Amino acid sequence: MRSRLAAAAAVAVVGAGLVAGCSSSSDSPTETGGRVDLTFWAWVPNIEKVVDKWNAANPNIHVTVSKQAQGDELVTKVLTAAKGGSGVPDLVQVEYQALPTLVSNDVLADIAGEVGSAKDKFAEGLWQQVTLGTQAVYAVPQDAGPMMLYYRSDLFQQLGLSVPKTWDEFAATARTVRQKDPKRFLTTFSAADPGWFAGLSQQAGAKWWSINGETWTVAINDPATKKVADYWGGLVTEGAVDDQPMYTPEWNKALNDGTLIAWPSAVWAPGVLEGNAASTKGKWAMAPLPQWSSGESKTGNWGGSSTGVTDKAKDKKAAAKFALWLNTDPDATAQLVTEGGLYPASRDAQAGPALQKPPTFFPDQADFYTQAKAIADTAAGFTWGPNVNVAYTAYRDAFSKAITDKAPFGGAVDQMQEATISDMRKNGFKVG
Amino acid sequence: MAAVARRRRTAQHLVPYAFLAPAIVMFSLFLLAPIGYTAYLSLRKIKVEGLGLGRGSRKEVFAGLENYRQALGDAELWRGAGRVLVYGAILTPVMLGLALVFALLLDSPRIGLRRFSRISIFLPFAVPVVIASLLWGFLYLPSVSPGQHLMRGLGLPELDLLGPDLIVFALANIGIWGGVGFNMIVIYTALRAIPRELYESARIDGCSEFQVAVRVKIPIVVPALILTTIFSVIATLQVFSEPMTLRPLTNSLASTWSPIMKIYQDAFARNDIHSAAATSMVIALVTLVLSFGFLRLVQNRAFGAENQ
Amino acid sequence: MSVTTRSLLDAPVQDAAPTPVARRSRPSASGTAVLVLGAIYCLLPVSWVLVAASKSSADLFNTFTFAPGDALLRNIADLSGYRDGLFWRWMGNTALYAGVGAALSAALSGLTGYTLAKFHFPGRTLIFNTLLAGVLVPGVALAIPQYLVLAKLGLTNSYLSVLLPSVVSPYGMYLARIYAAAAIPNSLIEAARTDGAGEWRIFSRIAVPVMRPGLVTIFLFQFVAIWNNFLLPFIMLGDDRKFPLTVGLYSLLNQGNTLPALYTYVITGALLSIIPLIALFLSLQRYWRVDLAAGAVKT
Repeated sequence: MRSRLAAAAAVAVVGAGLVAGCSSSSDSPTETGGRVDLTFWAWVPNIEKVVDKWNAANPNIHVTVSKQAQGDELVTKVLTAAKGGSGVPDLVQVEYQALPTLVSNDVLADIAGEVGSAKDKFAEGLWQQVTLGTQAVYAVPQDAGPMMLYYRSDLFQQLGLSVPKTWDEFAATARTVRQKDPKRFLTTFSAADPGWFAGLSQQAGAKWWSINGETWTVAINDPATKKVADYWGGLVTEGAVDDQPMYTPEWNKALNDGTLIAWPSAVWAPGVLEGNAASTKGKWAMAPLPQWSSGESKTGNWGGSSTGVTDKAKDKKAAAKFALWLNTDPDATAQLVTEGGLYPASRDAQAGPALQKPPTFFPDQADFYTQAKAIADTAAGFTWGPNVNVAYTAYRDAFSKAITDKAPFGGAVDQMQEATISDMRKNGFKVG
Repeated sequence: MAAVARRRRTAQHLVPYAFLAPAIVMFSLFLLAPIGYTAYLSLRKIKVEGLGLGRGSRKEVFAGLENYRQALGDAELWRGAGRVLVYGAILTPVMLGLALVFALLLDSPRIGLRRFSRISIFLPFAVPVVIASLLWGFLYLPSVSPGQHLMRGLGLPELDLLGPDLIVFALANIGIWGGVGFNMIVIYTALRAIPRELYESARIDGCSEFQVAVRVKIPIVVPALILTTIFSVIATLQVFSEPMTLRPLTNSLASTWSPIMKIYQDAFARNDIHSAAATSMVIALVTLVLSFGFLRLVQNRAFGAENQ
Repeated sequence: MSVTTRSLLDAPVQDAAPTPVARRSRPSASGTAVLVLGAIYCLLPVSWVLVAASKSSADLFNTFTFAPGDALLRNIADLSGYRDGLFWRWMGNTALYAGVGAALSAALSGLTGYTLAKFHFPGRTLIFNTLLAGVLVPGVALAIPQYLVLAKLGLTNSYLSVLLPSVVSPYGMYLARIYAAAAIPNSLIEAARTDGAGEWRIFSRIAVPVMRPGLVTIFLFQFVAIWNNFLLPFIMLGDDRKFPLTVGLYSLLNQGNTLPALYTYVITGALLSIIPLIALFLSLQRYWRVDLAAGAVKT
């Protein structure tokens, strides 16, 4: 009786050990005869196909893609895995704003030795985001998200509107839309998308974080950001623009049925519009973002990620080689464009053959990507701090509250500043 | 003979412990150890030096009760607790009231379509909370909601179910929808176990069905009601998935709307496992006190059977 | 001390004694109406999923919510084709986690409940209370510490990392204890002991068969709980080929700003993921014994 129980228990434990050994393939390195197996956590659609090309050409360095989460959630998983000491991937797709967080947690390796030579292949603003202003290089830029304005050309024509070139014109257009058709809005202000607001602030010249020697400076409520916040706050209070969050079923419907007729967004918008508002194909057009002063041409970045090699990678040299290939090789970047739907960070790729045709969703705008490249070159650089997530969460909470309380947006920006700076101080960062 | 008997008695003494061993081992590994680790983490914090970007500039150091002080002093946590109490005050009575009514109706003799109703009302139990919240989100959003469509058609004013005034009802509704079936079945089976004679006599005396229900049935199923209330209260205190799923759809939900959401934010968004640990211990303690208080009350009634 | 258990979906009890004809006439309209309203309320989102899954992506946001489309089969085909049938792999994973996890959990709960109910030993109340306290700590809070503990054991990102924590079910042990106490007469056990049977034999040959309805109920509860669980597999699994349905569908929904949300896939997937559970309920309904949760009533 008891001995049988013990025997059964022993079998169970041994069995568990065997199964654990069989299934933890991504935990233990398998190097057989000089071949290296690398894991790559990414979320770009169809990136597996690009990786297949690499695997075919490089049998010694085999890369396996795992798509389990996006953006911030992926960062959390990587950090948790790093804390636990096992299960950390060798390569990981990291959005630019998450790089300082990962570097601060010793998750990313410095690959300056392997990829430093590629510096000139990328715009300065993007390269700065992967070096964090230091001599080290923590990732290779993959794609970029310069911001531009998308609008329904058919509805603009119908309502007799012209494309606004300055933010003042944009405000006037918004009011006109409401006047002519109370069921429509020019666009919506989203309290759920801090990256969008960050990009707009970048355009105005905001510098939320900056480094002075060994001290951080946090200035989320600098005049540039306040200008942007007050501008949009005024429009929301007036009712000139809508206040619903983006990326909801309601927002999809609004894009489909013309309740919203313009969208300040980034270069990757065609893919989103195609997925969410397929019925409006061919009715949209793209133009540069409205400017704060007439004649200027500046923009900011919304999103965009890089490929990093982790500190725990089995073979950093091999991983860095792959990362560089993925983001600079003409075939690889072309495929990332056509199948992944992203806008490459590499300058060569931006002028490459894959981007000679306009996106399928914009069949009538032949020079879409030529224009995009010109706009991309004007994108401002930006320094991200080590606690971007705190700032982003504060944005969501503060701005959504400001909307429901009908309070001015300037106060929301101050709340973001307060939350960010106190979190950094609490953790011991040196904040000036 | 005596030796054998003694050995048997000794062996018998140890049998319960042997039988409990698997449960104790698993429990220790997957519940006790993490809880202990959480308690340990709650006493530590991260200290950064300078810019925090260089190697090894982050260190985990002992923090004493600092995390607890911060958690208890955080106004947002108390606000969240208040919101959850309101949510619970709406959810629990309505859900259990409906469950009771449905169970009583199912137990009444003159009801039609019994099987259909029983299965339908129980169906939401099969839907994961994340999916259920998404489905209801679709049904709440004004432009895609059929309800709003109907209201517009009838000329009635639109209800902003995701607005700040009604959001707590919208959330409670998801919980009610998901939980009423299960609780109904629990109460119903308690009702079915009542000997028929108890209320046949009442019926013969001329009591209406309603009076039978109120005077005879309800008092007898009070223990079942107490049990379902406790579990409902515990679940309410830990509400998380519904507000998390609805949050991207509306401006009315802060990321720390419920205390558990605050823990999630700390652990997953701010990567501050230490604050999260401290807040978790606080919440666990509160839940423990409340639940054990109730369990004490019902312990006799719940286990009276085996003490005979 | 016998238990009057009733099958969950029994037909209404027929009374032996005759009752006045008037009371047995037509069903009550108001009572039936209330129940049917409740049923409709509960069916509403489920029927919405069915209708929404039948619409193509373009139609989803363009047509009236309850107008059915014609694209159900096409949506299912598209979903199946997504990344070479990943959805069905998720479905298989979920069945594995839920089936094996619930079976192990029922077995463990049965053994534990029986022991706690039928044996008197020092520490019994303490152990029972400790086991129960396990439900009180929020799962969200435990997720990362559980991950870290499992990481020390080298078990993360494996099927076991989701299976093993799911096996411990304090609620199941609670139910098993009540059921064992009420359903297994002490006399039966004593008789077996006098006959010289070993304790394990008593448990497996006598207690388990008597407890079977209760064990099936615990199995079903735990099956649903594991099937619908999100946070545990989300934090434990790094390989998306090991995902269960909840995490998989969530990943389809949250593709980030730069990608469109795959609403059609998610809705179709949600529909397909509900069906097995419903089928399970309906097929096992004669085994349900939910009254063990309300065991107090029989005193």
